[in-house]
Amino acid sequence: MTTHTDTSAAAPGEVDVVTRAPRRRVAVDKIAGLGLIVAMLAFSVHALSRLDFSWSSMRSSMDTAVTTFSRMDPISLPPAGDLVYLIGLTVGIVVLGTAMAAVISVPVAWICAANTSPSPWLRWVGRAIGVITRAVPDVVLAMAFAMAFVLGSALPGIFALGIHSIGMISKLFADAIEQSDDGPRQAVRAAGGSRAQEFWAATFPQVLPSWIATVLHRFDINLRGSAILGYAGVGGLGYAMRVAFQQFPEGYGRGLGIAIVIFVLCVVLEIVSSTIRRHLLGTDPAGRGLGGRIVRVATGDRPARPAGGRLTAFVQRLGRRPSSADGPVGTNRTAPGFVRRLLPRHRDAEVSVEAMLHRPWTGSRVRNLVWVWTAVALVVASFWWADVNASQITWDYVLPTVQSFWPPSYGSHSFGEFAQAMLITVEVAFAAAGLSLVFSVVFGALAARNVAPTPGVRQFFRVVLVVFRGVPELVLAIFLIMITGLGNQAGVIALAFGGVGLLGKLVADSFEEVPRGLERAVTATGATRTQRFFSSTWPVGFPALVSNSLYLVDTNIRAATILGIVGGGGVGFYITQASTVMSLHGQVTTLVIMIFVTVLLVEAISTWLRRVFR
Amino acid sequence: MNSTTTTPVVSVTEVTKCFGSVRALHDVSMTVNSGEVVVLLGLSGSGKSTLLRHLNGLERPTCGAVDVLGQTVPKLRPTALRALRCRVAMIFQQFELVPSLTVLENVLTGALGRLRGPRLGLWAYPKALRVDALRRLERVGLLDKAYQRADELSGGQQQRVAIARALMQNPQVLLADEPVASLDPESATQVMDLVREIAAADGLTVVCSLHQVDIALGWADRIVGLRRGEVVMDTKAANLDKAQVMQVYRDLAPGPDVDLDAELVSAGLVSAGYSVSGPA
Repeated sequence: MTTHTDTSAAAPGEVDVVTRAPRRRVAVDKIAGLGLIVAMLAFSVHALSRLDFSWSSMRSSMDTAVTTFSRMDPISLPPAGDLVYLIGLTVGIVVLGTAMAAVISVPVAWICAANTSPSPWLRWVGRAIGVITRAVPDVVLAMAFAMAFVLGSALPGIFALGIHSIGMISKLFADAIEQSDDGPRQAVRAAGGSRAQEFWAATFPQVLPSWIATVLHRFDINLRGSAILGYAGVGGLGYAMRVAFQQFPEGYGRGLGIAIVIFVLCVVLEIVSSTIRRHLLGTDPAGRGLGGRIVRVATGDRPARPAGGRLTAFVQRLGRRPSSADGPVGTNRTAPGFVRRLLPRHRDAEVSVEAMLHRPWTGSRVRNLVWVWTAVALVVASFWWADVNASQITWDYVLPTVQSFWPPSYGSHSFGEFAQAMLITVEVAFAAAGLSLVFSVVFGALAARNVAPTPGVRQFFRVVLVVFRGVPELVLAIFLIMITGLGNQAGVIALAFGGVGLLGKLVADSFEEVPRGLERAVTATGATRTQRFFSSTWPVGFPALVSNSLYLVDTNIRAATILGIVGGGGVGFYITQASTVMSLHGQVTTLVIMIFVTVLLVEAISTWLRRVFR
Repeated sequence: MNSTTTTPVVSVTEVTKCFGSVRALHDVSMTVNSGEVVVLLGLSGSGKSTLLRHLNGLERPTCGAVDVLGQTVPKLRPTALRALRCRVAMIFQQFELVPSLTVLENVLTGALGRLRGPRLGLWAYPKALRVDALRRLERVGLLDKAYQRADELSGGQQQRVAIARALMQNPQVLLADEPVASLDPESATQVMDLVREIAAADGLTVVCSLHQVDIALGWADRIVGLRRGEVVMDTKAANLDKAQVMQVYRDLAPGPDVDLDAELVSAGLVSAGYSVSGPA
């Protein structure tokens, strides 16, 4: 055998080894994949250039903004009482809509997940439900449902959010089920359990943390999107903002004030929910962030203790004191009655079946109970605040409303017109995604623990991303459109802004998920930080980056659709026109099918690329 | 040994199981009598787990018959199969506890076969069952851990919880799939002793797959050796020594110049007249 230290044989060995080595195979699919990625990047650059970001148009929009600011009233807020009511109404509608979607998503996810689905065709039914509900924007649903409910009811908004959110929630629920361990399910099956018992005893406890995180995540998204529901006549902050913006110029001050309230509300709730999510999933053991502090102040918890909070420590301390005294009998005597009930008996001599019948009040039990009742209270309060009841449904209109969507039609328009509109929407989506991608790679890398030069830098960019993510991009879009008088350009900027928050976070997470050992191995060879990034972190994180970017395109297409409702162009414009009139609902179906096909295409590309760059 | 030892509790007849083009079991026949403790020995991939999983209907044979407790397992309707599974408990190599649930709730899931409808949370189980579960936990020596999360326990403790869960079924047959393969030697001994002790006390019939010859020899009544999905040995453990059992692990390639049967006979693994490829 020839080795590198064996110098006499090295030269002929080298030649030999080159001839003996197998030829490198040209991977056609990888080249095609790269070509596709380059083509999509080129398309987003093209789309950006088409949207006229020239100096002159920027200057004129700045002039418009200055004029608007000079002519409007000073920024103001509604009276405190009204404001509290509006905030409560918006949050209540979002809570109820998200909760409704979460409940419906459980069976949908169960039939979707490969490892729990009773049959293959049910999987397809489940997937179809997911894709269809996701394709129809919530605001379109709200407009279309309006007829079926009493005027001023919150129900159209709740139903719109509740149905639209099923797509994403059930998808993520199903993913969690598929990632769960199959063993416990088998154990329950081997013990004679039924399918339902398998699910509730073995699957549900495993996926619960991830499910809660998903629902909270969707809650944030819905809250950010809820303002747009005001354009469908659903009450709350969004409606109040829309009404204010209708009075030019004097209402703009009030409108801006409400917009700022929505911004703050979204950012605050984003921080709270992302902190709860992090606690649940345990991905951030440090918990030193701003949000972490807020929640700790609220819950009285400490980050250093893995299980249970102060109460556990308290109970444990109580437990230790008496058991340091000799004798099991003495132990129970010295501890006061309530402590005896609190204490799990740790010493064999004291343990009896009767004593163990009651579950001890450990910190984690108390905390879980508090969380559960808080959630229940929140839902009940939302019902009460949003003033929801069944009498608000006008049953006579339910069936005609549903029927009006079939068959699909072009109305007075043509396929060419709709296709042109669809192209504009796709351009907006790609342009925004392209802008987001550039910033996300930089911000996301700097927010990743294993790439950021110092923990301080990481923390800073994490906070930046949270703020970006918290900003409701549609409210930002409305704001920019109102102020600059521009349509889709303003929309692209707004979407790109929100996209950085989402994609940057996903990029950071995917970099952090690169196995530590891999990077350590590269470091051990004497590589520099940069070398380490490009030879281990980047190649491992790349497939995730591709699929996350396409996910962003996907969400952008939906968001760009909605832009049409607030003054942009594209399919949204036609949908808005058609969805308010029952006889035109066929056009809505046509347009939704077109969105649906486009989104499926993007998803297919994403799936394929993920397989190629696995 | 009493008279019940002659009643076959498990009888497997000429079972072949294929996963696609892979043949996991080939013409396997075996019987286990009531109260007997049988170990299945063999390399990874020799078909031990697959054979075990046929006994409670987690797998269905491609052809052949599986009878357990007087029932023909592959032919059972779902309800009847579940009723059988109630009487045939199983423990696993990876314990297969739900990590986020308490130990007690994990034990209670062993009673699901007797209950109707899904259960979630301790309160969903009747109090009598909770007391029952605590008794089982006491029996495996883990009563004090009842309210800890399952994933806070060591491997050996988790396997004992899994045994308590199996006992919750009041089983007649206990199937153990590599119960100590993921454990350190000391925990392994503890777990195996516990199973043997419980089997003796409750008169359980035990079928256990293992790959540690040392443990198997001192522990089993009978040893069945599997290689490439075929039974290559079926002998009372008392008649065996380690060298003989090790033959099971010799990966003999049956070729035209190797008379496998003759080799096995000469190694003392099988009696004369035995044929690996079966009759005909």
